Amino acid sequence: MNWTGLKYQLKALRRDKLCVLTFLLPILAGIAVNLMGDMDFSAMAEPSFGIVRDGLTGEMEDWLRTNGTVEIYDSREELEEAVKEPATQTVGVLAKDGEMKTIRSGDEFTMYAKIADRLPRLYEQREMTAQYDLKVLPAGGGSDIMKPLLTVIVMITAMFMGCTFNAMNILSEKEDGIEYVNEILPMTRGQYVRQKIAVGFVGGTVSTVITALICMRIAAAQILPLLLLVVLSAFVAALAGLFIARFSGGLMVGIVYIKIIMILFLAPPILFYMLVPADSVWYGVSYLFPSGATFYGLMGLMDGRTDMVREVAALAGHGAVWSAVYVMMGRRHRKKVQEG
Amino acid sequence: MKGNLVTFLRKDFRLCVSGKFFLLALGSLILYSSYINLVYVKLDQEIFPVYRYDPGKVQGECAAGVTDVGSLEELEAACEDGYSVGLHITGDPGSGRKPEIMMVSCGVESLDHIREAYARALLFPEDREDGPKRDSRDALGQAGIIGTNTREMKSRREITAEFLFFELAAVGFLGLASMLFKEKQMGVIRVHAVIPVSRVLFILSKLVLILLSDLLFAALLTVINLGMKEGLRVLPGVLMQAGILSLVMALIGFLCAVVLPDFKQFSLIYLVLAVFITTPVFLVVQTGVEMDWMRFHPMYHLFTAMKNAYFQISSAQGIYYGVCAAAVVLLFMAAQWGLDREMKKEG
Repeated sequence: MNWTGLKYQLKALRRDKLCVLTFLLPILAGIAVNLMGDMDFSAMAEPSFGIVRDGLTGEMEDWLRTNGTVEIYDSREELEEAVKEPATQTVGVLAKDGEMKTIRSGDEFTMYAKIADRLPRLYEQREMTAQYDLKVLPAGGGSDIMKPLLTVIVMITAMFMGCTFNAMNILSEKEDGIEYVNEILPMTRGQYVRQKIAVGFVGGTVSTVITALICMRIAAAQILPLLLLVVLSAFVAALAGLFIARFSGGLMVGIVYIKIIMILFLAPPILFYMLVPADSVWYGVSYLFPSGATFYGLMGLMDGRTDMVREVAALAGHGAVWSAVYVMMGRRHRKKVQEG
Repeated sequence: MKGNLVTFLRKDFRLCVSGKFFLLALGSLILYSSYINLVYVKLDQEIFPVYRYDPGKVQGECAAGVTDVGSLEELEAACEDGYSVGLHITGDPGSGRKPEIMMVSCGVESLDHIREAYARALLFPEDREDGPKRDSRDALGQAGIIGTNTREMKSRREITAEFLFFELAAVGFLGLASMLFKEKQMGVIRVHAVIPVSRVLFILSKLVLILLSDLLFAALLTVINLGMKEGLRVLPGVLMQAGILSLVMALIGFLCAVVLPDFKQFSLIYLVLAVFITTPVFLVVQTGVEMDWMRFHPMYHLFTAMKNAYFQISSAQGIYYGVCAAAVVLLFMAAQWGLDREMKKEG
C-alpha cells in the first residue's frame, strides 16, 4: 500500500465539500437521534381521543385518560375538524343524556375504528373488573421500536455512505483528466484499486465509528461483533463506490447512481424487517442485499444479541463475491484493450 | 417573439428527451403508482387479535375476531407478541373460578388498559358482537361517522399528494438544473451572450416546458391513483397547486444552476434542500407533531395547500396566492439577474 498516495487522496477528500457533508450527515443525524432520546414515540400508537371542554363528566374524562391521550377542544366544530383531519386518527367523544357517544371520520385504521365503535360499551363495563382475573406479564423487549430503528437507519447510512467518498474521488479525477496521469505513474492497477478502496473504507469506517459512539449503547461483549459489522460493511460500500465510478461517465450520473444505491441499500432491509417474519424464505432472500445482513446484525445488537455469525458470514461473502466480480471485469476490460 | 419561443421550446424539448427527462418522469409515475396500488392502500392496523382457550366448552361458538386455541401453552405463545390478548375460560360462571384475561404488556399503560377492556367485551358472551342482546341499549354501538372518505380513499389522496409534492419539489428541481448544467457545459450560455435573443425567452421556454410536463405528470398521477371520477373532481385544485409549486421549484433550480459553478456544488444544495427543508414538513403534516415555527416555513404552506387540494378543503386564501405570485415574479427576476451575471462572466 502506498501510504503517501493515500494521504494525498484523503487530503483531496477533505477539500471536497460534498464529501465533508456526506461524512458529517450521519454524525449530525446520530446526534439528532440521541437528542430525541427522551421523546416518547409510543405516544403515536396510543389511541387519541378528542373532547369538547366541559362536555363529559369528570368520571368519563378520567376513564378516557387511562385509555389514551385526551385533547380538549373549545367547541364541537373544532372537535369535528380534528376528527376529520386526515393526518391523525383522533376519535371524538361526546356525552348525551349521561351516556357516552363517539364520532369518527370513517377513514381511520381498523383498530381505531373498532375502538371508537365499542368505546361506550367498554366504558359501561368499566366496573366489571371483579368478575375476572387479569394477568399482565411485563413487556419482553423494549416497547419503543422507533428509536432503535432510527439509530440503525443512521448507522447503515453512515456505513454505506463510504461509497460516496471513493466514487466522487475517482469521478473527479476522471473529469479533471488525472485518470490519464495515473496511467503513466509507476503504480500497478492493483495498487490503484487498493488505494481507492482504502479511501472509501477509511471514510466510511471513521464516520460510522463516530456515529456509533454517539448513538449506540452496547455491552463490552458486543464491541467486537459491532466492529466486524462496521469493517465489513464499509468494505462492501467501498467496493460499491468502485462499481459506481466504473459505470458512470460523469459526476452527474455518478451522483444519481449514488442516490439509487443508497435507496436500494436502505429501503429493502427496513421493509423486510417490518413486513416479513424472521423464519420465512423471503427473510433469507433479503441477505442478498449487503445492507440486509448489516441491518439485522445491528438490530440484533440493539436487542442485546452478541452472536453475529450469520450476518458476518453473509457480509464476508458479499465482500468476496463483489471483489471477484470487480477483478474479473477489470481483467476482461484489459484484455479487450490489448486485443483492440 | 412567438416564433422565437417555439424555436426555444423545440430546442429545450430535444434537450429534455436526450437527457432522459421524460423517461425519468415516466419511471417515477410507474414506480409511485405501483407502490400506491400494491402496497400503500393495503396498509392497516388491525385490532388486537384475541385468542381463547376454553377447555370446558363453557362459551359457545367463537365470536368474530376471536381465535380458539387447543392448549394453555398455545394461548401463552400466541400472547407473547405484546399485542394479542388471551382469554382463559376456566369454568362455569357458577363454579366460582373466574375466567382470566392474559396478556404481555406492550409497554404503554393506556394501550394495555384498552386491550384489557376490549378483551373483556369479548369475554362475556352477551356482549359479543354476535351474542344475544339483552335489550337495545346492549347492542354493539356504532360511532357516528362524520367524514366523507373511506380508509382506502384517504390513503390514496394522502400518498398521491405526498408523491406529487416530492416529485415536483425534488425531482423536478434536479431535472431543470441538470438540463441547464448540460447547456453550460456545451457552452450554450456563452453563445447566447453574443447572439441577439431575448434572455427572458431563454428562461421562459424552460419554465413553460417544465410546467407543462409537471402538469401532465400531476394529472396522470392523480387520475391513475384516485380513479377517473374522484381524480377529475380534485384535478382543478391539484393542477393549480402543482403549477405554483412547479414554477417556484423550477425557478429556484434555474437560479441555483446558473449561479453555482458546477453540478457538485449544486448537489450539495440539493442535499440540504431534500434533507433539512423537506423532511420537517413531511414529519409535521404526516404525523401531526406540532412545531410552532413551522408556519414560517414556506414549503409547509405549499405542501398543505397541495394536500388540501386532494382532500377538497378550500383553505388557500387570497393572501396565499398573492404571496405565491410575488414569489414567482421575484424568483423570475432573480433568475434573469443570475443569467445576466453568468453571461457577463462568460464574456
